[in-house]
Amino acid sequence: MQYETPQEQDRLSPEITEPGESSQSRDENHHSLSPLAGLTILEGRLHPLTLLFAMYNSIRRLILPAIPLIFFGSRWSFAIFIPLMVAGAIIHALVRYFTFSYRIEGGELITRQGILERRERHISVERVQEIRIEQGVLHRLFGVVDASIETASGKGPEASLSVLSLAEAERLREAVFKKRRVSASYSEGESEIGGESAIVRRLRLGELVRAGLTSNHLLSALALVGTLWAFVDDILPENFYERVAIAVYGEANRLLEQGTQTAVLIAILGIVVVFLVSMILSVIGTVVRFYGFTLTRSGEDLQRAYGLLTRRSSSLPRRRIQVLEIQEGFLRRLFRLASLRADTAGDRSNNQEEDKGGRDVLLPVVPEKEVDELLPVIFPDLDREPTSWSRVSRLAILRDTVEGAIVWAAAVCAVYWYQGDAVWLWLFALLPLIYWINLVRYRNLGYLLGERFFRTRRGRFSRSTHIVPIRNAQAVVVSQSPVDRWLGLATLTVDTAGQAYTGGGPQIGNLPLEEARTLARTLAHRAAAMRYRW
Amino acid sequence: MAEEITKMDEAGARSGPPAVKDSSPDFEFAATEGEFRSLDPRVVKLWRVVGSISVGILLTVLLIIMLIAWFAVPTLALWIFAGWTGLAVLCGWLIYWRPPRLYRAWGYRIDDRVFETRSGLLFQVRRLLPLTRLQHVDLQRGPIERAFGLASLVLHTAGTHQSSITIPGLDAEEATRLRDHLVAIGGDDAV
Repeated sequence: MQYETPQEQDRLSPEITEPGESSQSRDENHHSLSPLAGLTILEGRLHPLTLLFAMYNSIRRLILPAIPLIFFGSRWSFAIFIPLMVAGAIIHALVRYFTFSYRIEGGELITRQGILERRERHISVERVQEIRIEQGVLHRLFGVVDASIETASGKGPEASLSVLSLAEAERLREAVFKKRRVSASYSEGESEIGGESAIVRRLRLGELVRAGLTSNHLLSALALVGTLWAFVDDILPENFYERVAIAVYGEANRLLEQGTQTAVLIAILGIVVVFLVSMILSVIGTVVRFYGFTLTRSGEDLQRAYGLLTRRSSSLPRRRIQVLEIQEGFLRRLFRLASLRADTAGDRSNNQEEDKGGRDVLLPVVPEKEVDELLPVIFPDLDREPTSWSRVSRLAILRDTVEGAIVWAAAVCAVYWYQGDAVWLWLFALLPLIYWINLVRYRNLGYLLGERFFRTRRGRFSRSTHIVPIRNAQAVVVSQSPVDRWLGLATLTVDTAGQAYTGGGPQIGNLPLEEARTLARTLAHRAAAMRYRW
Repeated sequence: MAEEITKMDEAGARSGPPAVKDSSPDFEFAATEGEFRSLDPRVVKLWRVVGSISVGILLTVLLIIMLIAWFAVPTLALWIFAGWTGLAVLCGWLIYWRPPRLYRAWGYRIDDRVFETRSGLLFQVRRLLPLTRLQHVDLQRGPIERAFGLASLVLHTAGTHQSSITIPGLDAEEATRLRDHLVAIGGDDAV
């Protein structure tokens, strides 16, 4: 029983499988649950509009495989397929609506569905990582929501309740978190229990515009274009691309005949236009996605609500945050802005569609100077930690300079080889710049070991800081490449559950070998001494 | 080479007390802080056998492809055969050269809280696993391992990149004892 995987445990009895609890606190836990065991706290069914939404969803899912049939199938198969599809969708919707029920009972959220194959799923409320509520435009018209409940299994939502009325979803969320607060009385002493909900940070429109301006324009613009494409593609006439291609080719030919100067000018103009357009698209994308972003703390739970068209909200218990990353890209750093990203144990698959939902960011943008005030909200004990960063070995400068110089020299030689002009050799004059860059990088590279948290930081021009609560460390790895061994250096990595959005978790290179080993042993021993809580 | 292994045999895996049915879980592993334990020396032979089999299959397949190519384009034959021979020599040398060194690079130790392994020749890695984070332990025995009386132990955590740590080539009996020991410590505190 002790060594089942967590997913399996979720479906087994929750009382005996509390992880990381000493036998004493497990008894307490049992104690606090026993008066509630078997008591149904909340019971419910899906909203009647489920009929509509389930039908809509299944038709949307079937329409893609049906396209070849619609275009190439005979009229006869067409006449059979369409009614079949509609009938299937209706049956699916009816079954879903009439058989699906859920309840919270004895510390478990239980969902049931199906006629022929009855499926009952028990999710321990204790193990719920995150509850997400999503409301598309169509949902908002009818005042209903999709709710999904996530555990650490990392295989998508453990239960999807689609669709619920808004009030019902709030009731469910309340019930899950209230339930948890009852049994959270055994949680570690330092954490507050209950408490009023307080707004931590609200993002104004101006801040979102700035976030859009400083984000990675091209990437977010491409994402937005990709989304629009999916809609537009269906509407455009078939020969549209062909006509565009012919027109562009014709224009290009005409320009080339007019001479290179015009061509270069047009190319520069084109780049500027692409840049401006992607900037505008990026701003629009950010504003639409994060409009009205509010981060609220309610007791132990961090709640986020945002979105202009699709409203999203999610609740995340803050102790479920495995790793926090403070990310400052190049542009953000210029404007003294940062964004906070967090991973929970359930985040494993890097699903593109979910990324678009802004799931990965805890706070999309915040002025750099506010970060220090915000961190204790997310990690309550962080302000008791030391604040002196340790640097790595100075050999890092030498090593990175030599490596950078070799690459640079190779590139310059290649250019000289192809161009055959000695002017290019002047690029070697930039070699001191490589030394300077690495000196700055070295000064900004560091780690900070505290009693409960381990932090790493890297970068000057674009910076990334990772904070990991040591109790979340699943493994500590010290690795040495051949160059590392020659210089007596090593790289230390802390592995945690669910590293999807924070760029691989905390890692620090160029540590002197002995220091790395001592650090690793310290981290591992501290982690082992602390209780891990799902 | 054989002498070398026997020496390591004395210093390494066999140094612990003989297997006894002891109910106390930490009878021999707890005090080994600082000292890495080696794998079972028989693993060198095991790796050579496994390596020979896989390389043998690969080379045979390549040979068949080459013969087909030879019938199609006879002029290429000499180069291809030279390449194949070179590859075979290289693989053969690796099969002879690598296992003893890998054996020496491998080690594991355990105290009351942390399990640590070291491994790797070119890229050397130490993995430290807090025992309370242990999810479950698998004991694996493939057919060739069984023939040698060896077993592999796979330790699973909830981590992302290091979600499992495999210790190959343990003496089957020792692997069983180690597993029971890990289960006993790990199970006490967490899953």
